[in-house]
Amino acid sequence: MLRLVVRNLTKHKLRSLLTVGSLVVALFLLCILRTLVTTLEAGTQAAKSNRLWVQSAVSLFVDLPLAYEAKIDAVEGVEKTCKVQWFGAYYQNEDSFFGQFAVDGDTFLDIYPEVVIVAGSRAGFLANRIGCLVGKALAKKYKWEIGDRIPLIAALFQKDDGSAWDFELEGIYEVTEPVWDDRTFFFHWDYFEKTMEATTTGQPDVGTFVVQTRQGADQVPVMAAIDQLFEHGPQRVQSTTEADFQAQFVSMMGNIPFFVAAIGGGVLLAIFLACVNTMIMAAREQTRDIGIMKALGFTDRSMFRLLTLQSMTLCVTGGLLGIGLALLAEPWIAHGMGSFFPGFAITAGTRDLGIALTLGIGVLAGIVPAWQASRLRCVEALRSME
Amino acid sequence: MLVPFSYNLRSLFVRRASTLLTVFAIGATVAVVAGVLALQQGFALLYTESGREDLVVFLRPGSTNEGDSIFSRDRGLKLMKTVPEIAMDEGQQPLASLECYLAVRRFKMTGGETNVAIRGVQPMTFTLREGELEIVEGRNFQPGADEVIVGRKLVDRIQDCHIGDVIQLNTTPFKVVGVFATDASFDSEIWGDLDRMLQALKRYGPNRVLAKLVPGTDPEALAERLLSDREVPAKVLTEREYLSSQTKQLSKILVFLGAFLGVIMGIAAVFTATNTMLSALAARSHEIGILLATGFRPVPIFLSFMLEALLLGLLGGGVGILMTLPINGIETGAMNFNTFTEVAFAFRITPQVLVRAILFALTLGLLGGALPAWRAARLSPTEALRRT
Repeated sequence: MLRLVVRNLTKHKLRSLLTVGSLVVALFLLCILRTLVTTLEAGTQAAKSNRLWVQSAVSLFVDLPLAYEAKIDAVEGVEKTCKVQWFGAYYQNEDSFFGQFAVDGDTFLDIYPEVVIVAGSRAGFLANRIGCLVGKALAKKYKWEIGDRIPLIAALFQKDDGSAWDFELEGIYEVTEPVWDDRTFFFHWDYFEKTMEATTTGQPDVGTFVVQTRQGADQVPVMAAIDQLFEHGPQRVQSTTEADFQAQFVSMMGNIPFFVAAIGGGVLLAIFLACVNTMIMAAREQTRDIGIMKALGFTDRSMFRLLTLQSMTLCVTGGLLGIGLALLAEPWIAHGMGSFFPGFAITAGTRDLGIALTLGIGVLAGIVPAWQASRLRCVEALRSME
Repeated sequence: MLVPFSYNLRSLFVRRASTLLTVFAIGATVAVVAGVLALQQGFALLYTESGREDLVVFLRPGSTNEGDSIFSRDRGLKLMKTVPEIAMDEGQQPLASLECYLAVRRFKMTGGETNVAIRGVQPMTFTLREGELEIVEGRNFQPGADEVIVGRKLVDRIQDCHIGDVIQLNTTPFKVVGVFATDASFDSEIWGDLDRMLQALKRYGPNRVLAKLVPGTDPEALAERLLSDREVPAKVLTEREYLSSQTKQLSKILVFLGAFLGVIMGIAAVFTATNTMLSALAARSHEIGILLATGFRPVPIFLSFMLEALLLGLLGGGVGILMTLPINGIETGAMNFNTFTEVAFAFRITPQVLVRAILFALTLGLLGGALPAWRAARLSPTEALRRT
């Protein structure tokens, strides 16, 4: 029977190829689309719940006074606090943009064990006042090596003379979980604060306090206590667990999962109709063959199976190739998306869903012609001219 | 001699199951692409259509949007009073107002967090916006009071946006006293008194100056002069220029998405169309033989097949548009990456979307028909006649 399937499919090589081709394309697209959504959500899942983010309750664009640090540190259940400020500078020209943050270097590395230094050293970074820590992908992009001097041109935090900020590369990191991406630039809060104090702008504020809670401490009362501290100003704060904040951030993007699902639905519909079309055409041309086989004593059921198998073979070939192609293309797409969409990675779930969809399309597309074929009367079939 | 068109129509009809499936497959492809384009149009037009040419926006030099522009109050006032191009009202007051702007954290009705634009305005703003904005429910806020009015699009999407609700800004509660409607992009904003907002939000100063120009002023010349002005340097844009500059990032993403989907799904659709036309060719070899034998030349036969494929594409385009039409006008929300706030807008099937959808569908038909048509034209009459 399998040989017959192969024979029938290779009889119209071009048609089979085109059908497989469109399935390849469709499954490729579906995998990529779904990965966009899972990547957005990956940050949420990787987030550790023993880290809290304390930010302004008013706006993501409002900073908090530096003096909040000591008060947060004193809250029962707080283990460590790390100041984080978005630096927003650029390298060489405005187009070479990537995320930069001023952080408390030592605490940052303690709080985020997911950030692992793979070149240079923690000691070197901590010892150098103007030292910086750079993600592997970013270092590769600009071909930076340990010891390189990196000047950044500030947009938000300008020095009075307008000169660039100097940094020295002391460490390259990788991440074991996508809590940060590997295209980010971290440097010392002290360097940031001291430099700003010398300008007319003065002491900088803090964008986010990342708080690590004590082992076993209950998050809820800690968050409530922190929020309570500043209930009457000067700036009210909102504490969230890291996971919640990531989820909120996805929510701020608007209804992306819905858009992607709608598009995916369109793709599925188009490809399903195309497959049904091919299968019906194939079955029509085989009417005479089916008549002969039936006359030779093949049962209705075996005819049904033959046509379903043909459909499955085509769809599974195309689908698997499409999924494979998506997996192969993943590094390039991830590279192309760059810092705009960090951490693009196809999950096992997406792959399995792709396989399931392929099988589903194969069965459904084969059913109508298979059912027709099984009901065909052999006299009629033999009379058919096509 | 050309093959009669009715021949194509009939052959599409005779093989109607296959025709329908192909048309719907192409239709689904066209619908997805048209849907994304309609989203982009709805978003971009919201900004560009409402942007006025007679209003100008003054920003701090070097800033690209209100969020990162900031003036001290004195500078803003000086700008309003010293720029001679700004029009005056009957009382010789400049038709200009200071505005502050901030993307604040709010919660959606559905629970998730989002960013909503909040704007502090002066009484003169309402003179500048005369006819553009209408209070549809409640009343306007009192100058100097802790009151706000909210854009109509926010009412059912964002929590605490009904009349009587209280919106807490940092430590100050503001009471919602009215709902305003407008066709402009600030339909998704919350407005209140400038000074109250500056104080409540602890802002250093206003973010922009909005002004009406004396009729006949050349905004470009003004922009050039003020950019290097020693007293009050400012970046000047007409409101329309400013608003369209705020759509760039999301528009770019949507156009890219549309093109990306168009190419990838297009490949699959072309394969489908080719398959259909090939099977049409196989079924009609005999007829083509007859056509050739009766004196039809290969070129008309090629054209005939192309025409049939184009027709298939056109029908697919029509079905695609019909599938997209129901989304026209549906409201949705998305993050505007330029302003980092969520704006509500509707899908809009504009003539541009329709034209692009049809052209896309015809291209699919054209590409799908090319190979089968070429094969048909190259058949030799004897061989074709021999096939049954």
